Amino acid sequence: MAEGNVKRIELMLSEVTKLEELIDRSSLSEVCRSFFDLFGLSIRVYAKSGALLTDVHEERSVCRYLNQTPRGRAACVHTVAEIQKINPSDKTLVHRCFTGAIYHVVPIWYSDRQLGRIILGPFLPAEISEMPESLLELIPEDAREQVGNALAEMPRVREATLVRIAAHFRNILDLILFAGHRSQLMSDMHLASVRESYKELAERNASLQEAYDRLKELDQLKSDFLATVSHELRTPLTSIIGYSEMLVSGIGGDLNEQQRGFASTIHSKGELLLALITNLLDLNKLEHEKISLNLRTVDPQAIVAEIVETILPDAAKKGIRVEPDCPDGLHYLNADPVRLKQILINLAGNAVKFTPDNGVVRISASSVTLSPNESSFDGIGVAVMAATERAIEFAIRDTGIGIARDDLENIFDAFFQVDSGSTREYSGIGLGLSIAKKLAEAHGGAIRVESEPNVGSTFYLLLPERPPQTV
Amino acid sequence: MQLDFQARELSIKLIYYGPALSGKTTNLQAIHKLLAPERRSRLMTLETRDDRTLFFDLLPINLNTRCGIQVRIKLFTVPGQVIHVSTRRLVLQGADGVAFIADSQMSEARSNQESFMDLRRNLQENGFDCAKMPIVIQYNKRDLPNIRGEEEIRKMQVKGLEPIYLATATRGVGVTETFLGLVSAAWNKLEQDHRLTDRFSIEAKDIIDDLVARFGIQPMRVGTR
Repeated sequence: MAEGNVKRIELMLSEVTKLEELIDRSSLSEVCRSFFDLFGLSIRVYAKSGALLTDVHEERSVCRYLNQTPRGRAACVHTVAEIQKINPSDKTLVHRCFTGAIYHVVPIWYSDRQLGRIILGPFLPAEISEMPESLLELIPEDAREQVGNALAEMPRVREATLVRIAAHFRNILDLILFAGHRSQLMSDMHLASVRESYKELAERNASLQEAYDRLKELDQLKSDFLATVSHELRTPLTSIIGYSEMLVSGIGGDLNEQQRGFASTIHSKGELLLALITNLLDLNKLEHEKISLNLRTVDPQAIVAEIVETILPDAAKKGIRVEPDCPDGLHYLNADPVRLKQILINLAGNAVKFTPDNGVVRISASSVTLSPNESSFDGIGVAVMAATERAIEFAIRDTGIGIARDDLENIFDAFFQVDSGSTREYSGIGLGLSIAKKLAEAHGGAIRVESEPNVGSTFYLLLPERPPQTV
Repeated sequence: MQLDFQARELSIKLIYYGPALSGKTTNLQAIHKLLAPERRSRLMTLETRDDRTLFFDLLPINLNTRCGIQVRIKLFTVPGQVIHVSTRRLVLQGADGVAFIADSQMSEARSNQESFMDLRRNLQENGFDCAKMPIVIQYNKRDLPNIRGEEEIRKMQVKGLEPIYLATATRGVGVTETFLGLVSAAWNKLEQDHRLTDRFSIEAKDIIDDLVARFGIQPMRVGTR
């Protein structure tokens, strides 16, 4: 409410109370100067506070003469002081000078509020034909002709005309005030609008921040839970795997064929479960960037050979041909060999898994150069943007079932499965690609995929020669 | 309301609210036209694009009361278009009364309702108690076909709290009635809250009489309660 009250007052205050706040003095002087040029009338504008805002006048010959005599100067000073004291409230006041000249003092009103006054003059009313007594008594006899000539140089205006001229000037001033007032209100409104928009944005930001903090908290809770549960699952699982292995190997005594078969199944499923839990832990670490890379110099050719060897038994079972394609002389990479193999085994394993019997899986590595913003390359700034870094691109091409276009952008999401049918036919919980992607990113690299349903897929793993943080 | 003891001025802010194109600016233009030319202020329109109000229109009407206090009535319109909600909220700040200008056309009933809901929301957001805000309603555009019938409006008025006025603002019909009704409603509330008669000897009658003199007409309310 307090804030509301402040704003309320701010908007209500947009009233014109001071002439000097709305009028630009130099512009007012220009207007008065052109007025003077047009009518030959001296003009002074005073604010209500008494401040002189503009003064355009020319010393008249008669005034110059009188100011040279002590009595004349005293009379002039007195007249000026008298005029300055005049503060008309609602209508024009006329002040007559001892010379017979006249001053008009016109009040300035805007929106029913007096803001100042205009002093017009001196001018000689057209109706006057003789020098007044008040002037004659101040000058010696022999100077009368000279003073009379000087007085004749003063602008002569009919009083009625002057009233019209003054009204015209007041109208111009009123228009200037109106324009100034309008601008002031507009500026008030603009400021208030900006404040209002800022307030609205701040409120929205605060609620977004709150939602974000809450989600972050939930995410942390989920991660902690996952880490704890995975760890707790692993401990008994190690025993299950160890003891089942001992049973299979006959350490606990001879088993018949069926019993060995059961124990083998327990062992192999235990290993699967362990791999799954390890993946979950990996993903958790990767999501929180807690994984550390053990960087070594890696020969891409040797890695490809190793991967081929690893997937060969599974490929052979389905009659799938595995073709390595790695030119000699490829440069080495600086990477974590265990993590690199984990990525490639995952990609190659998937290729075998999703390729029908008697298909082909091709694993290749080639040298490429990296260029920042390559996709948006438009020739601008080539000298700066030209490629400087080498990279190795691994490609795993299969002749498998392919991936539908709509699924392509989701396949790297954790727990994403292409469809439930696929889940049933092909084992897995959809963590492998997500982990592979995060591991590639941890190396400063990237994974992308091209695929055509029922034709096959190609997964590309692009790794810079060195991870960025080591460059 | 703002009271400046030093300047002996009392400012009252009255708002013309309503849906887009219901005739808020037309009401102010008509009032401006009806006021005696020698003493009226200019009608100020802030930023228009395609003849639509973007910020607001402002018509100041100043009255010199017998007790020497100047009463400055400021009439504002708000931009009716839905997107200018924050401007409406700003203009509504410190309001002493609202004239809700409704479009009489049947097809505009929904727009009227939405705008009135918007008014209530904005009043609340500015810390006003809607029930205590002096509001008058004007059913404008009575000269158009397919409008809500007078009988129907009279029935609505019996159920409602606000005085209702019928108007054709483009011809100046019903405009002064709405305005004087709004001033009366606002003044009554200010009297109740600030005891203006006791403190400053300003009475509602003085204000209304002065305004009536300015318009040079006898007020005639249409269908009020």
